Amino acid sequence: MFKLNLKIALRNLWRNLGITAINIGGLAIALAAFILVAMYFTFETSFDQTNPNYENIYVVGRIEPDFKTNYTSPPLAKVIKQNFPEVENAGITKINRSWELAIKNGKKAIFTKNILQADYNAAKILDINPIGGLIKPSGDVERLTYLNVENIKTLFPDKKDNKPEMVSYGSASSGITGTIAGAIINNEHSNFSFDGVSIGNEIGKGETYGYNNYNTFIQVKPGTDVANLQEKITNLYRAELLKGETDLKTINEIKGVSIFLDPLANQHLKPKAGNDTPYKILISLSVLGFLILVIACINFTNLSIAQATKRAKEVGIKKVMGAYRLQLTTQFLTEIFIQCLVATVMAMVFAESALPYFNNLFQVNLTLWHADNNLFWQLPLVLCLITIIAGIYPALVLSGFKPALVLKGNFSTSKQSSWLRNGLLVFQFSIAVIFIIGLFIINSQLKYMRSEDLGFTANQVVYVKNISYFNDPAKFKTIREKLLKIPGVKSATVATDVPDGSGNGANGYTFEGQQKSLDFVDVDFDYFETLNIKLKDGRFFSPKFSTDTANAAVINESAVAKYGMKNPIGKTIRGCETDYKIVGIAKDFKAQGFESTILPTIYTIKNPCGNAKTQIMLKIEESKMADALAALKAKWSQINPKDGEDFRYEFLDDLYGKLFKKQEQLQSAFFAAALLTIFIAILGLFAFAKYITNGRIKEIAVRKILGASDIQIFKLINSSFFMMVLAANVISWPVAYILTKKWLETFAYRIDLPVLPFISSALITILLTVLTVSIQAKKAVKANPVDALKYE
Amino acid sequence: MIELKNIEKYYSSKGIKHYVLRHVTTTIKQGEFVSIMGPSGAGKSTLLNILGMLEEPTYGTYEFMEEDVTRLNERKRIELYRNHIGFVFQAYHLIDEMTVYENIEAPLLYKKVGGAERASRIADLLDRFNMVAKKDLFPNQLSGGQQQLVGIARALAAQPSIILADEPTGNLQSAQAEEIMQLFQKLNKEDGITIIQVTHSEKNAQYGSRILNIADGVVKDDITLTAV
Ligand SMILES: Nc1ncnc2c1ncn2[C@@H]1O[C@H](COP(=O)(O)OP(=O)(O)OP(=O)(O)O)[C@@H](O)[C@H]1O
Ligand SMILES: [Mg+2]
Repeated sequence: MFKLNLKIALRNLWRNLGITAINIGGLAIALAAFILVAMYFTFETSFDQTNPNYENIYVVGRIEPDFKTNYTSPPLAKVIKQNFPEVENAGITKINRSWELAIKNGKKAIFTKNILQADYNAAKILDINPIGGLIKPSGDVERLTYLNVENIKTLFPDKKDNKPEMVSYGSASSGITGTIAGAIINNEHSNFSFDGVSIGNEIGKGETYGYNNYNTFIQVKPGTDVANLQEKITNLYRAELLKGETDLKTINEIKGVSIFLDPLANQHLKPKAGNDTPYKILISLSVLGFLILVIACINFTNLSIAQATKRAKEVGIKKVMGAYRLQLTTQFLTEIFIQCLVATVMAMVFAESALPYFNNLFQVNLTLWHADNNLFWQLPLVLCLITIIAGIYPALVLSGFKPALVLKGNFSTSKQSSWLRNGLLVFQFSIAVIFIIGLFIINSQLKYMRSEDLGFTANQVVYVKNISYFNDPAKFKTIREKLLKIPGVKSATVATDVPDGSGNGANGYTFEGQQKSLDFVDVDFDYFETLNIKLKDGRFFSPKFSTDTANAAVINESAVAKYGMKNPIGKTIRGCETDYKIVGIAKDFKAQGFESTILPTIYTIKNPCGNAKTQIMLKIEESKMADALAALKAKWSQINPKDGEDFRYEFLDDLYGKLFKKQEQLQSAFFAAALLTIFIAILGLFAFAKYITNGRIKEIAVRKILGASDIQIFKLINSSFFMMVLAANVISWPVAYILTKKWLETFAYRIDLPVLPFISSALITILLTVLTVSIQAKKAVKANPVDALKYE
Repeated sequence: MIELKNIEKYYSSKGIKHYVLRHVTTTIKQGEFVSIMGPSGAGKSTLLNILGMLEEPTYGTYEFMEEDVTRLNERKRIELYRNHIGFVFQAYHLIDEMTVYENIEAPLLYKKVGGAERASRIADLLDRFNMVAKKDLFPNQLSGGQQQLVGIARALAAQPSIILADEPTGNLQSAQAEEIMQLFQKLNKEDGITIIQVTHSEKNAQYGSRILNIADGVVKDDITLTAV
């Protein structure tokens, strides 16, 4: 029986070869997209999953009245472990990403950006395993430093063993040396990806609860009530902070502080302290992938419906010959399954060829062919799923036809199932319309972000990486003089932060009795000039005023607004035990990108509570850029001897452009999705229209004989499709409106929702539909009516 | 073999019952060749469909081989199709994607007849109907009469005890029709197969042993023909 059914299925497919190819091809493309998305999804959701204690590890974070953070202080981990038996282990880590450290072996050098410092407990919790195993450092001072295998290869190319090696740190003249204990394999697929690790028995010893520069991790016993533990830790933390505290105001503040526990599993995509854009993008991507697949499956269903009249007769005959319904269901499902199987194989090929582009876009390194790829169980599952989705109509409806009805002679299913068929078509086009509208709106917003005035100019600004401190302006003065001598360098400055979207420090400042929190950036002369930031009122810093290096402050418009200041120039703002005189107001500029509002910020040259000023920025004339960079490279060790001989830089506009990366990924994903859905839906429509017009050839012939013109017949065939596309547009507009509005609301600076995308999507879909249907209709119209009527 | 008692069938539309069959009570014995006749719309096809269990009567009892089949489950009914009933249709209803051979083979596959047995039965039927040369052709490559022969061959393949035929010659020219009727007569006489056919033709009815005349859903006449 199976063999015969297979034969019939193949004959059926062969007879409708064009349509079959379109259907399978469309499904293969959709499946390829789905495969990529599924792989990406698995990758993104399985960070750190190789850790044997994955399920039981939590990050301990703080909730302050106006923010959440993962930064905690060293004593916390210790008291947690002492007090709660359900906590198996607790440890801390620290990472400093703000500067690059050169590590050298003779002439060979590497620049490490993130050396993870961890205490022994944290290393155990986070499954940090150097080659040769994790060794407990001896005593309090020993630090065991391990470098990535790649780094070790660069420094010691001939090294075969895993013995410790001596290296020097910083510039060749610094004379600082140290021991590298060995190599470690860096897991890129982890939240703790590093150039190297440095493990001590205890780190941050002696630092108290004020030193919130560490991350605390705990590993709980399986089955622990985490909500309860979180509450207990909060109480413990408050009790610890309150020890010896007498000031009523501080006591009240401490009562507003609490602790949260965030599972390790959340860290990569949706940390409690941080944004969940990656998670949202991942979810949207998954939805896109799934919808594309559904749309391709609908093509199958629709074609089955179109062929139903014919297949129904087959069902009737087979039933009176003694076929069980189940046998027919199996037969239909097998037919669809074979097609889906072919599509799956093709999809693997497509996915493989699209993978390099995908990896490039999402900056991952996914591969199809590795043994533990989840696809090997996901794909068969998906294959069954799409077989069911695509085959549900023939399997459930067709197989259920009553022989008495279908064998009567003039039986036709078109009336009964047209609502379903049309409904599915409308659904496909609705999705396509939503994607098109979404694409247009994402495009407009990104265009706006690229062209909108940022309030500062990142173009031609070179950001120089540097490890020496320039908190004292006098120290930077000599460097600046040397820098300005290089032809093309127009200005030079140093600051704690560059406007690349990364966060600044924040502190409390008092103005006319009101205390509020302001972001602070410690700068040097020429900071505003280098970045071409506009002045609103007053003046920027200048060496002409000797007090500028002591207590002058520039604030931005948002800061003025936050305090509700009136004529603030010359007035005093107090913070960090210093009375600052406000000398100027800078126009707001988008240092944080477009997603968050511009933060109220204070700029000072001197800030006792500030951070290290290490970020050098140079404004260089475009035409002399290459020469200037070459000169800087050649002379760097003379210009800035403390940093060493290696000149490392980035263009600020590149750095700022990274802020758009996620949104650009979304744009590309939407572009691909919109293109694919439209393509697949049109393929389906093409096949469908072909079938419908074939079925109507006789009717068309009769009409022509009755005197209908070609145009009238084109209209006749197109009209129902036209109405369906129109309906699809009307249905999807509100959905697209809500979705795009929600997306736009994630931006603090955004375009108004435009009308044009809605109209364009309608025009595009209608045009494509009319075109597709007309190509099919043409054959019917051109056919000689006599030929058409001769048969039957 | 067949016992109908008080069979009624109606379609209700807008609350009004439209009777198609009323008080049909009759018995058909093994080996009979019955022709159902009557004007168009009289309910002949409906009656045949009820006999073939394709439709259910709205009232009355129907016993097929001493078994009440009015409320038979699908599985049991299909068992009857496989083992006892063969259908022949006016529109032939062959499966277009199957060759002559495969069309005849299909019911045997459902009946799970072994391969060798299948081949010999089909060869036998092809031989008997003079279709050996045409066995690999598709239905659309055959004439109407030839298609109907395949239809009958298919009905016979499962070796049924009864054949139900709704206007089996309706689409055929009289010469071809005569051929089919002779075949039916032969099957009835030589193989003892019970045959119930719906026909409009007085001439075709003469091949049978009994005529049921129906008008407005009621059996008007029940004539037994004496062998010529
Ligand atoms: N599904 C249905 N709904 C309502 N009425 C029906 C339905 N099927 C059949 N009928 C009615 O039942 C009556 C009998 O139909 P049937 O097909 O049995 O007639 P027939 O005797 O076979 O006629 P013909 O010789 O033209 O084939 C007709 O009047 C028809 O309109
Ligand atoms: Mg009839």
